[in-house]
Amino acid sequence: MFFKSAISLQELNQYEQGRSLSEDAFNRLKKNKFALFGLIYLSVMIVLAVFAPLLAPYAYDAQDLSLGATPPSLAHWMGTDIFGRDQLTRILHGSRVSLMVGFVATAVALLIGVLWGTIAGYSGGKTDAIMMRIVDVLYALPFTIFIILLTVVFGRSIFLLFLAIGAVEWLTMARIVRGQVMALRQQEFIEAAVSMGLSRWQIMSRHLIPNILGPIIVYTTLTIPSVILLESFLSFLGLGIQPPASSWGSLISYGVETIEEYPWLLIFPSLFLSVTLFALNFLGDGLRDAFDPRSSKD
Amino acid sequence: MLKYFFIRLLSAIPVLFLVILITFILVRLAPGGPFDQERAAPPAVLANLNKQYHLDDPVVVQFKDYLVNLLRGDFGPSFKYPTRTVTEIILTGLPPTLELGLYALLFAMFVGISTGVMAGLKPNSAQDYIPMTIAMIGICLPSFVLGPLLILGFGIGLEWFPVSGWGDSPGDKVLPAITLGAAYAAYIARLTRGGMLDVMSQDYIRTARAKGLSPARIVGLHALRGALAPVVAFAGPAAAGLLSGSFVVETIYQIPGLGRFYLQAAFNRDYTMILGTTIFFATLIILFNFISDVIQAWINPKLRQSLSK
Repeated sequence: MFFKSAISLQELNQYEQGRSLSEDAFNRLKKNKFALFGLIYLSVMIVLAVFAPLLAPYAYDAQDLSLGATPPSLAHWMGTDIFGRDQLTRILHGSRVSLMVGFVATAVALLIGVLWGTIAGYSGGKTDAIMMRIVDVLYALPFTIFIILLTVVFGRSIFLLFLAIGAVEWLTMARIVRGQVMALRQQEFIEAAVSMGLSRWQIMSRHLIPNILGPIIVYTTLTIPSVILLESFLSFLGLGIQPPASSWGSLISYGVETIEEYPWLLIFPSLFLSVTLFALNFLGDGLRDAFDPRSSKD
Repeated sequence: MLKYFFIRLLSAIPVLFLVILITFILVRLAPGGPFDQERAAPPAVLANLNKQYHLDDPVVVQFKDYLVNLLRGDFGPSFKYPTRTVTEIILTGLPPTLELGLYALLFAMFVGISTGVMAGLKPNSAQDYIPMTIAMIGICLPSFVLGPLLILGFGIGLEWFPVSGWGDSPGDKVLPAITLGAAYAAYIARLTRGGMLDVMSQDYIRTARAKGLSPARIVGLHALRGALAPVVAFAGPAAAGLLSGSFVVETIYQIPGLGRFYLQAAFNRDYTMILGTTIFFATLIILFNFISDVIQAWINPKLRQSLSK
């Protein structure tokens, strides 16, 4: 009898392929048109950014002073700036900077936030109280102002931007992760893991973090646009990317200077930045609904 | 309630102290002295300057002196404009920045709450979808994109409003306030909608309806009170965001406010000015968060009761 039932269980498994949480979530995501648009748009944008040097029709610093600023034409689809540089090329190269800052700084935030939140949530007690108190205090600091201060003190380098922005964004991640870990800590499978003699590190990395991947992915997707926005904000103010390199923010700030004469210099980079932000927000919202069907829009 | 007020006030002090300490250390770490010029000044002159500004004291003594002066409201002299003190510069730049922030906040509150209520009263209808889609666009569109677009459309295109200046010509405050407030209007609209959805299904709203109250009274007197709790919670962070947003808006519209002075100081490496304005901004932001917390506790009867016990 026992033997037979084991076989039938195996057969059952063959027919009923187990669906993981992420598969379920992806199926739900596919039904959300806005989120799907976001996903496709972003994939295209990432490919464009990665292969920008190959795809761009001109060199990013190639000037043609005799040409000057021209409106969009067949040779220059998005026009040229006052130095005769091709706008499309500059936007493609700018997307490399903007997207890279978005992903790298978010990765920094992700790493610190998840570790901090998991350790605080799992340890509990005094460790938790102290760690979260530090987060509270940091939360109260005016960070935009501090980032401006940091760029003044340490110069305007892209690595500093990564670090500074990442250092700001990990706080919310830490709070979210801690809350999730606190809820999981009481469950039987963690108790089982403890009784099996697993080390704290093993429990955290193999049992806790994989179980809170949903919220982590969602929040990560929503962090990327705010990071891209912060970088553009700094570059717009002249504190981020320095010429001749460009990011969407710095291109927009050039565009604003000559808004009356050459409006296309403002419109195209603004378009790229805004649509990317839309796409990321749509995708983030869609993922949130997909991972947690109960959550409403707000 | 009073106890909560004081505990909350006391807990702001270490945060403020930390801000001052971090800022002070960072500015000290900055490469290059404040008196570095294109042409190196003679050592004797430098020594005198350092002596005059007490830069030859030990750092701890300098920090203590700075703190003591801060308590008197004295942010020290500006290194770039030796004839003016940092306090003077802050006081010149503050009124336009506060005025701009106030208009933006009023705009955000008015537009945000009214559209949020509209959307929340008829969820999943055109009255809900259209404003909420616009709100989503408003949240995604950064002020440094929206501002230039407004200039292009209403300033240069339609010539309805002036495109720069502050108080020089009528109507020149309209575009800056909208630019700064738009994202917050959108966010408040979403929060209000969410709050309305929660509240309208509560028993006490049904009771109010059963009593025969008019829809306007139900919304105005009963529903809004509960629905606006998340909006109030958001007001503190929003005020902080409005301050840093003013950097962009003041740059775009050339408004002589504190944000622009701060950026100028950052470009000029005017260290005392940076130190002073950073601390000033931080104090303002901590103050806004404090006020928002207190109001939250005050309008929420449950919280108020548990606090007064």
